[in-house]
Formats: sequence, C-alpha cells, structure tokens
Amino acid sequence: MTVLAPSIGFGASTIEAISDANDEPAWLRDRRRTWFERAEATPWPSGQEEEWRRTSLDRLPRDVELLLDPPRVRCELDAELAGAGVVFSDLRAAVREHPDLVRRALEEGDTPAVPAPEVGPAGAAPLQPVGSGEWGPGVTEFDSHDKFWALAQAAWTGGTFLYVPADVAVDAALLARSTVERGNVAYFPLTLVLAERGARVTLLDEHRSPDGQPVWFGGIVDIRSGREAWVRYANLQRLGDATWNIGAQRVQVGPGADVTTLNAEVGSSVTKVGLDVRMTGDGGTSRLLGLLAAGEDQHIDINAFQDLSASHVTSDLLYLSALYDRARAAFYGVTKVRSHAKQTSSYQECRNLLLSSEAGAEPIPVLEIETNDILRCGHGATAGAIDPVQLFYAQTRGLPPDEAERMIVRGFFEQVVAQIESEPIKAEVLQALAARIGSADVAEDAA
Amino acid sequence: MSEQLEIRDLEVSIGSKKILKGVSLTVNQGEVHALMGPNGSGKTSLAYTLMGHPDYHVDAGSVTWKGENLLKLTPDKRARLRVFLAFQYPSVIPGVTVASFLRNIYNAVHHPQQPSPEEAGKMPRYTGIPLAKFRKLLADKMALLKMDPAFASRYVNEGFSGGEKKRLEMLQMAILDPQMAILDETDSGLDIDALRNVAEGINATLSPEMGVLMITHYQRMLNYVTPQFVHVLLDGRIVMSGGEELSHQLEANGYDWVRQQVGLPEGVTDQAAEPEPVGQHA
Repeated sequence: MTVLAPSIGFGASTIEAISDANDEPAWLRDRRRTWFERAEATPWPSGQEEEWRRTSLDRLPRDVELLLDPPRVRCELDAELAGAGVVFSDLRAAVREHPDLVRRALEEGDTPAVPAPEVGPAGAAPLQPVGSGEWGPGVTEFDSHDKFWALAQAAWTGGTFLYVPADVAVDAALLARSTVERGNVAYFPLTLVLAERGARVTLLDEHRSPDGQPVWFGGIVDIRSGREAWVRYANLQRLGDATWNIGAQRVQVGPGADVTTLNAEVGSSVTKVGLDVRMTGDGGTSRLLGLLAAGEDQHIDINAFQDLSASHVTSDLLYLSALYDRARAAFYGVTKVRSHAKQTSSYQECRNLLLSSEAGAEPIPVLEIETNDILRCGHGATAGAIDPVQLFYAQTRGLPPDEAERMIVRGFFEQVVAQIESEPIKAEVLQALAARIGSADVAEDAA
Repeated sequence: MSEQLEIRDLEVSIGSKKILKGVSLTVNQGEVHALMGPNGSGKTSLAYTLMGHPDYHVDAGSVTWKGENLLKLTPDKRARLRVFLAFQYPSVIPGVTVASFLRNIYNAVHHPQQPSPEEAGKMPRYTGIPLAKFRKLLADKMALLKMDPAFASRYVNEGFSGGEKKRLEMLQMAILDPQMAILDETDSGLDIDALRNVAEGINATLSPEMGVLMITHYQRMLNYVTPQFVHVLLDGRIVMSGGEELSHQLEANGYDWVRQQVGLPEGVTDQAAEPEPVGQHA
C-alpha cells in the first residue's frame, strides 16, 4: 500500500469558514482549530497497522470539498420530554440553543472522566495521547483511527445531539435521520449521546447519501452513559454505492450502566469503522451487535476494541455478515481485560455467511487478558457457505432455492435481530436489509 | 384418481461408488410399504434419490409420479407434487421458528405463486394462508400429535432431542399432507416410549390417500404401523418382497437368512458400508 500524500480537499481556512457560516462562539472556534492542528499532525494510517492491513485508503475520495451546508438532521422530540430537560436536535441547532450543555459535552469528550489505564507497554499499539486527556483524542488502542476522529471533531458541519438528564426515561425510540444530498463532498457528522445517571434512551441514527457519486463520509459517534444509565443505540448505514464510510465510535459505559449498540451496515462502497468500547464503571454491561449485508464489490471492515478496565463488567460482541457477489468483510476485534478488572465476563463472536463463491470474509478475534480473576473471556469466528444439506432440507419442503436461501440468511441474522428491543427500529433495520437479503418471516410465534 | 410412484431399474452412485444397482418398486396411494435392509444396503440412498439430493447421481432408470419423471425435477418441485421425505437426520435451521418454518412450507406447497417480473426478489411473493387460519391448522395438528404448543416457538431442530426431531418431521408431514410419504428410519435413535409416541404420530397422520414407503432396519416400528408390503434391500437391489409376515421372518432369522435364500455371500454388504452423504451429521 502506498503512503498517501497528506493532502485533503480542504484546509484551515475551510475550518474557519464553518465557524463563520454558523456564527460560532469563540470556544467552539478554538476547539475546531485545535482539533484541525491535531488532525494535520496525526499521520494517515500507513497500512502496516494490524487494523488497517485489510482496507486500503488509496481510493478514498479525499480531494473533494467539505460539505458546509448539509440539511439539518431530522430529530423529533415531544414537548413533554423537552420539558423534562431532554435535548434532541441537530448539533448546529443545539450549539445555538444549548451552548453551555453542548460545550460541556464536547469538552468532557476531549478529556473523558474515566480511570486512567495503568502505564505500561500493554497492547500492540503504544498509547500516544495527542489530546489533553490521558486517553488521547480518540480510540485508545486503535490510535490509527485518530486521524479521522480528529478530522471529524474539527470539521463537523452536521450531527445529532442527544442529552438525557438524570433519571429521565425516554420510552419511545428517538429517530435521527441524516441525508447527504449531493456527491463529490466530504461530510463528517458527529453524533453525541449523553445519558446521565439512571437515564434511559433508545436512538436510531440513520445515514444516507446519493448513489453513483463519490462521498467521503467520516461520521463519528460518541456515547457516554452515566451510572446505571440504559442506552440503546442503532446506527443504520444506508449510504450510497460510491460512498467511503470511514468512521469511529466511542462508547463509555458507566458503573452499572447497560448499553447496547447496533451497527447495521447496508450501504457504502467501502466501510471502515473503529468501535471502541470502554467498560470504565464497575458492574457495567455492553452488547455490541452488528448486521452486515453486502454485495457487488462492497468492502466492510470493522475494528472493535472492548476495553474492560472495571470489575464485574460484561461486554459481549456479536457481528454477523451475509456476503453476496464479490463482497468482502474484515473483522479485527480485540478484547482487553486489564489487570485491575476483576470478575469480568466478555465474548466476541464474528460469523460470516458467504453466499457466493467470490465473496470473502476474514474474521480475526484477539484476546488480551492481563488477569486470572475472570469469569469468562472467549471468542468465536466463522466464515462459510450455507450448509448444502440445510438448503436441501428446506427445498424438500417445497421452498424454491432462492426462498430457502432467504429464509436461512434471515434466520442467521435472527440471533442479532431478536436482541433489538425496539419494534420500530427492528422493522426499519429489517426493511433496510431486505434490499440485499430479501425478506422472510422467521420469527413467528406459537399460536 | 389413485396415483402411483413407479421406480424402474434405478441405478444410483455417489462419486464413483455404485449404491443402487437396479431397484424397481411401485407404491400406490393408500398403500404402506416397508423397505428393510441392513446398514449400507442403500435404503437412505433411495430415499435421498427420490427427493433429489444433489450428491446422488442417477446412472439409469426412472421414477414416475403423477405422469412426471420425478428425477428431472428439483426437490422443491417434487414437494409441490406432494411427495414428502421424513429425514433420518433432520437439519437445524437456526433463527427460524417452527411456526414460521411450517407456515412458509405450507404456503410453498399449497399456495405457490409465481412472482410477476417486477416483484421478483422484492417483498413477500405471496401472502398465502391467513395467519389466523394457519394458527388454527397448526394448533389442530399439534393437538393431533399431542405436542406442546411451546414447541412452535423454538428454532427448527435447534437443541432438539432425537425424539423431538422425529416428531417435528411428523408435524411437517401432517401440515403438508403429502400424497406420497417416504419415512427414512423414523424409528432410529428413539427409546421405546419415544418410538411409541412417534409411531402414534405416524398413524394419526396417515390417510387413505397417502402412499407410504417406510424405511427401517428393525421390525419394531412395524409393530405400530402395519405395512401391506415388505421389501428387502440388499447390496443395492430389492432381493425379496412379501406381505407383513416377511418382517417377522426377518426379525426371527436375520439378514443372513435372506442372503442364503437368494444366494448372496453372508455379510458382504455390511463390510461395504454405504458412504456417508454430507447430510449424515445428526
């Protein structure tokens, strides 16, 4: 892989233009400048890092203009919840309407209030803090994603802001829908979710872009859950077929908090997502779910990092892919159990169904366990075609081969789908997946 | 009109190994035939061939059903001609509940619809039986087979005991209501209570319009389901046919007796065991 020239289609003046266009307060203007300097100072992935070996950035459409005026993210919130202090809106609007809250949320994210990891040569990649916090600006271990984290912090022009005050429960799922309406642009939306102590919330974060024209989509997601908060986050990626989706997600799970994230990857030409989950509070639980349906020449590469740095935490990951045509899926996941984290339970599982002889998958789970005091830490990875006997069995019951295949694929996904608690989100995810995997009813209950 | 399944001079191989060496057999609707034989004699190969398993290559012969050459049809088309195979080792289908599976296969057999070109590959191709009506049908059939309704919410064969798998095969048979049913070792792997249970299920499902080819290597199943005709398959050929009494003679005398009667060397077929088809994992 060639080393990329460090040029992109926009520079410091564009960052100033974002602030000018939105008449941004000085603190935000300064923050963008600082992050842009960091982005420029942070090298591109060389391709030698373990997590970048399977995705080349050679053809990333870097030389495109930054999308300065994206449509507002559509967010709807009923008045009663707004009255209770819930804020759910387009991020630019939130800066104007709730400047102090947004400032606090962004700045806390730059210096997360989490226990510092022990110092030492733990892990393959050295910790290289670029930001002001001990954790660096972005993804702790996968610091090769930091370039993109920093770019998005500097150059976001749209995004979603969700704040749920302590002990407030939002029962119905909140829906944020964002659409890039034209091609030949770079767009770095920022989704920021803060759930305070005891808060409950479910968010669907949907992203679309047009087909046929190159887009550099660099969305990042930052989710922070306070003590005993309950968060369900579903990212529905329906980007266009020429979009490069290079994103990162950071999830902090507070003491006793319960967080599930789902990434449903349906669109894009290339997707590369770094998922960084920090189990920093004792007794926290996280579930990291993924559904990938890819065809043609789509390429999807997920890096997951489950960082268990507190005691009595549980973190389970389950990513399922259905790959058609010449689609490729790569998965590189690291579970790290730190030496001071006691009685933890974790699992990572990546399973790939290959529906064409030309499709391919490369799942690589890694465990780094620094203590003996664990309850469970395991992994599983598979890649293979549908069992021909299973297909024959279904066919002998009258199902034509294509219908039998659809049913088997849909059943394969059910292990994740069944864990989506919100029925409207489940329906939307299934509808988005249907474009690739078709639809089949598999979950009918007893009479 | 009564249909007949007519197997003529059927020769079948897996890879380079010849398994069936000229089998002829006719089963009419309303008749129960038992096909007996030791391990490796070709019984399961015959069942799989009748249903169109892709690993089995037909070298010669024909199978006619409802005026069609069955061997030219895909397995799903055979099923839609109301031929059913109860598997010895049914497959697990993870994530698909018994209830959905049954409704899907009911619709596939009883309400097949061709999609219009613009519908192809899109949303459901047919709506089929109304949900309420299907639930009633399912509840009735499960009651007939004395099955716990909770069974319908489990995933197909996932974590099922041997007996549960065989009962699900019987439930599928009851739902699809075939005109020709091939039961492959439906008695295998069952303890005596499970055997009685499954056999009662078979008897409850059998109808005068159904032809049955019941494959077994033990006589014990035939204590519950009485055949009018018994055939012995040895080394890829049907070497002996008779009435129900033949099964008792087999039980008393063993397959070596058959070999002596027909002039085959003793025990030869047991050594040349049938190759394991891909489906033989339980």
